[in-house]
Amino acid sequence: MGKFTKEMVDDYADKLLIGLTPEENKMVLDEFEAIDKSIDVINEIPNISEVIPMTHALDDFAFELREDIAEESIPIDEALRNAGGVEGREIEVPKVVD
Amino acid sequence: MYMEKSISELHDLLKSGKATSKELIKESLVKSHEVQEKYNAFVTICDDAKDTPVTDELVSGIPFGVKDNYSTKDVLSTGSSNTLKNYVPFYTATVVEKLFNKGAVMVNKTVLDEFGMGGTGTTGHTGIVKNPWDPKRMCAGSSAGSACAVAAGVYPYALGSDTGDSIRKPAAFCGIVGYKPTYGMLSRYGLFPFASSLDHCGVLTRSVGDAAIVVDAMKGKDSHDMTSWDSSNINLTKSLTGEVKGKKLFYIKEIANIDNYPHASKELREHLENFHHILDKFRNLGVEIDEVSIDQTLLNAIPAVYVVLSCAEATSNMSNLTGIIFGPRGKSDKITEMMKEHRTNGFSPLIKRRFVIGSYILQKENQERYFKNAARVRRLIVDKMKELFKTYDGLILPVSSGPAKYFNEGDDAIDENTNVLEEHLQIGNFGGFPSITIPDGFINNLPVGINITGNCYDDANVLNLAYALEGTMNYKGQIAKEVE
Repeated sequence: MGKFTKEMVDDYADKLLIGLTPEENKMVLDEFEAIDKSIDVINEIPNISEVIPMTHALDDFAFELREDIAEESIPIDEALRNAGGVEGREIEVPKVVD
Repeated sequence: MYMEKSISELHDLLKSGKATSKELIKESLVKSHEVQEKYNAFVTICDDAKDTPVTDELVSGIPFGVKDNYSTKDVLSTGSSNTLKNYVPFYTATVVEKLFNKGAVMVNKTVLDEFGMGGTGTTGHTGIVKNPWDPKRMCAGSSAGSACAVAAGVYPYALGSDTGDSIRKPAAFCGIVGYKPTYGMLSRYGLFPFASSLDHCGVLTRSVGDAAIVVDAMKGKDSHDMTSWDSSNINLTKSLTGEVKGKKLFYIKEIANIDNYPHASKELREHLENFHHILDKFRNLGVEIDEVSIDQTLLNAIPAVYVVLSCAEATSNMSNLTGIIFGPRGKSDKITEMMKEHRTNGFSPLIKRRFVIGSYILQKENQERYFKNAARVRRLIVDKMKELFKTYDGLILPVSSGPAKYFNEGDDAIDENTNVLEEHLQIGNFGGFPSITIPDGFINNLPVGINITGNCYDDANVLNLAYALEGTMNYKGQIAKEVE
């Protein structure tokens, strides 16, 4: 058994609001061990910490601000049409603050 | 059969009045239902699809398919996930809208691995997609339904998306063409995001010429996608001259040399032998092809880099799936429990696994070891490719370790050494490179593929190389036929 535990897996899942069955927990745990092993491959690369991380596919994006012109926004009834609970022009949710 | 023809052929028939858009749609819908029955390729079949006027636009009046992770107004768009099993968007993805505006007719939405996160075509919420060459085998994924339908002759093209190899590997397993242009040539607006820095839109067709036509029709800068760029100076269709004399390609020794696979299966051996045979055909056209050696440590890191980056980005992107704004709601009267119920019941075990891994990777204490180091290796790999692209027009490699796998084989590598062979197409996503797979032969009567990847913005050159190579073989326009 490595450094990962069932409790850790449940904790990370819970942070994402995802529940895991015991079988799913085991599947993740097994995968963690495999990923950790393969990350070792990365850490073997010499002077890796000196490389600037590449966070996107292209390095030469031309970032342009849009003109400050009001555009048509989404019609409220369209925006609400997939919501499971609606009251008037708003999405209905259970009370958030006790 | 109209739907077994190319876009250009269909356009000529429509323009000359020898066929009507209505006839094409009718045939495509009949074929859709047949293919659904046999291979389960679709989430939705648009039986109410209407014909459109035939214009000078090559795609006008012609049916096509859309992967179900593209938003389509008023048409169910599920991402093949239970979390969006009832989601009907109020807008249409830019690339689909562009095709609509040119008169193309969507006839179905195709099955994918849930949210594009898989390479087998087996994790969609409507069940597995079977390979039209052999239903006991997978199409690969995640654009499984699109690949299946194009190969089976439902229509000449379908849209796919590609985060690791999700267009280009299914194309190989189904004996067709799969093309993902340079990152940003196609707007991603309306594509359900999986890993935004790696996600590409693209197309599956039965010829390089059709791939050029469809991407020409879809490309362009989009104010809704800040990563899109102006490609109005590029005309892919007109770039297909077939003139490639003097072009230079390289293949990676560590991936394509049979000596690297001491336990090679018969299929792998034949696949690599065929690859080198095809290279000789290419050389006969005047293309120079060199063997280049790349540090094995860097190559071995490719799958890990992909897993780390894609899981981390996916975890973030999927945080809006709560069942509150869209998707089926949880039943609890407490909001946190309501969202947890939606996510717990909606996501399949396989993608829950990816999210939890992403969560772990993104924890502050783990970011350096996992996320940042993976992003650093991404740069090393991309820099190496860009250095080579200064000398070469492109990288040419075999796709996968052979033909389509049986369902019970999973997508795990059969030999530890074949890991990189299975996953090298991810290089194209790391660097946003244009990349195209075309069929290059048969093993055990099943198709196999070859891939050409080039430098960013050099799509016209990459496609022309693929076009020239396609012309030396007999697989252009082929339709899947079930083998024994």
